[in-house]
Amino acid sequence: MSTKPASAFLRPPTARAGPAAPATIIISWLTTTDHKRIGILYGVTAFVFFLVGGLEALVIRLQLARPGATVVSAETYNALFTMHGTTMVFLAVMPLNAAFFNYMVPLMIGARDVAFPRLNALSYWIFLVGGLFLNASFLVGAPPDAGWFGYANLTSIQFSPGLSIDFWVLSLQVLGVSSMIAGVNFIATILNMRAPGMTLMRMPLFVWMTLVVQFLIVLAFPPVTVGLIFLMFDRFFGTHFYDVAAGGDLHLWQHLFWIFGHPEVYILILPAFGVVSEVVPTFARKPLFGAPVVIYSGVLIGFFGFGVWSHHMFATGMGAVADAAFSIGTMLIAIPTGVKIFNWLATLWGGAIRTTTALHFAVGLIAQFTIGGLSGVMHASPPVDLQQTDSYFVVAHLHYVLIGGSLFGLFAAFYYWWPKMTGRYLGERLGRWNFWVMVVGFNLAFFPQHYLGAMGMPRRIYTYGPEPGWGFWNLASTIGAFTLGVGVLIFVVNALRSLRSGAPAPGDAWDGRTLEWRTSSPPPPHDFDTVPPVYGRDSFWREKRGRVPPTAPAPAPAEPHGVHLPAPSAWPVVIALGIGVAATGALAHPALLAVGALATVYGIFAFALEHHGNPAHAVQVGDLGVDHRKLGMWAFLGSECFFFGTLIATYLAYKGRSVTGPTPHEILNIPVTSVSTFDLLMSSLLMVLALAAAQRGDRAQCRLWLGGTALFGTIFLGFQAYEFTSFVHEGLTLTTNLFGSTFFVLTGFHGGHVTIGVVWLLTLLYLDLRGRLDVTDAVKVEIAGLYWHFVDIVWIVIFTVVYLIP
Amino acid sequence: MTDREPRDAHASVATYLKVALVLTAVTALEVGVIYIRQLTPILVPLLLVMAAAKFALVVLFFMHLRYDSRALSILFVGPLTIAVGLAVALMTLTGAFLVFGR
Repeated sequence: MSTKPASAFLRPPTARAGPAAPATIIISWLTTTDHKRIGILYGVTAFVFFLVGGLEALVIRLQLARPGATVVSAETYNALFTMHGTTMVFLAVMPLNAAFFNYMVPLMIGARDVAFPRLNALSYWIFLVGGLFLNASFLVGAPPDAGWFGYANLTSIQFSPGLSIDFWVLSLQVLGVSSMIAGVNFIATILNMRAPGMTLMRMPLFVWMTLVVQFLIVLAFPPVTVGLIFLMFDRFFGTHFYDVAAGGDLHLWQHLFWIFGHPEVYILILPAFGVVSEVVPTFARKPLFGAPVVIYSGVLIGFFGFGVWSHHMFATGMGAVADAAFSIGTMLIAIPTGVKIFNWLATLWGGAIRTTTALHFAVGLIAQFTIGGLSGVMHASPPVDLQQTDSYFVVAHLHYVLIGGSLFGLFAAFYYWWPKMTGRYLGERLGRWNFWVMVVGFNLAFFPQHYLGAMGMPRRIYTYGPEPGWGFWNLASTIGAFTLGVGVLIFVVNALRSLRSGAPAPGDAWDGRTLEWRTSSPPPPHDFDTVPPVYGRDSFWREKRGRVPPTAPAPAPAEPHGVHLPAPSAWPVVIALGIGVAATGALAHPALLAVGALATVYGIFAFALEHHGNPAHAVQVGDLGVDHRKLGMWAFLGSECFFFGTLIATYLAYKGRSVTGPTPHEILNIPVTSVSTFDLLMSSLLMVLALAAAQRGDRAQCRLWLGGTALFGTIFLGFQAYEFTSFVHEGLTLTTNLFGSTFFVLTGFHGGHVTIGVVWLLTLLYLDLRGRLDVTDAVKVEIAGLYWHFVDIVWIVIFTVVYLIP
Repeated sequence: MTDREPRDAHASVATYLKVALVLTAVTALEVGVIYIRQLTPILVPLLLVMAAAKFALVVLFFMHLRYDSRALSILFVGPLTIAVGLAVALMTLTGAFLVFGR
């Protein structure tokens, strides 16, 4: 295995199939679809945002260092803690994890790239646009200032006029799109692109935790997206979702936010658990103790993560039954978490330990996360939680989880995988300094906050008087925060020194156990010269020690035209820019919004048709015997269940709460809607007939049924337009009452989905009419059909709960 | 979940037509039962069962889940189940569960 200088990974890859390599390095990075480069882009961008969020934290700590300080105003302080939280969660820790997902997961499963390389690039560029858009709020003097949780009605137009919350709402939605795209992509990649012999239970723990996290992302983001849509409609169009006077419920926002927010905690921490599960066995030179149990524990944590959100809301007075249920759920989730900790300790026990910096950070995580976990179990008890809510005790707890856990996990990953990514080691001596300074700084910064909370110091206050005696521990905390900052700077110095003159690292830099160590450091553009066989868990380690079973797995299918790598594409950048322009236009001028929307739509069409007809893209069947695109669509539809489930649940929760008319039974026209429902159901029949025709190569029939489906869909939209128009004439609009708000948003979003479906079908019909849709494209008709049928089943539910149930 | 288990081919056109017929009939029944006073006490569960049946028919036959890899079923039914549970919990917690007609 060869080694390469650090600068090698900065060069554009040359061993590409498809169109000629772009002329310049900048263009090659702008158009890259290589998972490794996208991982580097994620890593560098997120680290810059991490430094920005860290600077915000240091200003916060300066302000709190002594009683009555006037470093910043109260307004600026509000903006700082809001942007610090939002930045660290969405722009730093999540995308730093994404950097390792991107770079390492394909290597660890023996794949040449992800399932959808261009979508991978798209998710990065949208993330970048979302991050820049959020921070652009500083430039116009309107940074968000209502907390990273954005509780209603603090965010309403009445209490937060101006652009600050608009920046927050729009950027979080943009970032959510990025996360969703990446989530679907990695689910398809992990399930469908594993090397021969790599069964699910043989996957490395980091890959397993990545898989769990992707499910959490695609399922947890839709509820908060719906909550943000409600907030956006309240602010932009005057709806009443969070308007108490109109019958709205402020707790709805808290529920929607925390249904996302608690799984988000696991989205942030599970990748770190995956890193520890790789680092500890490597440096203990032992297999991970009870690896299947660690896997099951990770899955259980993810599953339970959806059932504990209301422990963030004990203080809202949900009642004894709800409190008890969420308390029990929260305590239960500690069990699989504890299992992992004991398994890591058991792995270390009796191991031939190499005390590298990566292992230091991993062990640091185990110790510090345990402290954060234990204070979390304290919060699980509602009476205790009531004493701690909104105090600095909670600030201490969450930072022990997110810095002591997530961030130390990320630093373990930096030290562990840096040699693989750059071909050079990070300095171990500076690494120890990095670790110990961070440990001292972190614990000095946050352990005293337990005391401050117990002494009654509320969080989110910008200053305090000398009387409560909080000054000493606050000063200690501030000194700790700056020490932590020095620790991070030491890492930056170490990284720069490594890139310039670090010791060269071989492909197998740590006597590793998993497949990424089986290729060069950094890996070639195609990852592996031949797809590696997998002999069991820790396959590479077994292979090196000759512990290979007599029956090797079947080799990967031959690649008849050589290694196919994804071609570069400019469309992800175009789409992301379009989204950025549209978001800016939403705050600045409708014309700009229209330009951005047009650019986005044009970019999507160009993106979708870029490789249409390319035989290399015709068949994408993977491990599960299913096309990647079909697998990705099913994962997306699972996410859509959450999206429409939240919209429908809100409609039902608000049913009968309008304080003014008209009411549903006064206005809904069931006979007309029954006809439109029948029309949509029959469109599903036509769609499935179109697919059957496409699969048998009957193009005339395929055209007929595709056209019929699109026509029936258009008729349904005509019915909806008629219904909306008649309602407006009868006095019901988005803003009339709570019923109008919930009805129009629910059915309007469904209508939007139908519109997208019709456009999709017409595009396929156009391709067919141009003779560009043959039997090998049947899978494209099938995927469009899946989307279409899903829109149909959503309407089946809407028709029942909105129109038929009295 | 086993890794690789493609199942058999999709349904025939005749099956699709039968499913469409059943969907039409159930939709007609749905609209019909809301006008029958005697069914008022059981109307809500009745409508929900009929909607669930239509939902299942489209998913199983038109979306081919009955014939495709079991992994796809898990990928869809798992999230669907959690989403339904969350929706019911959300309605309960906002004090509005089964307040149809309020």
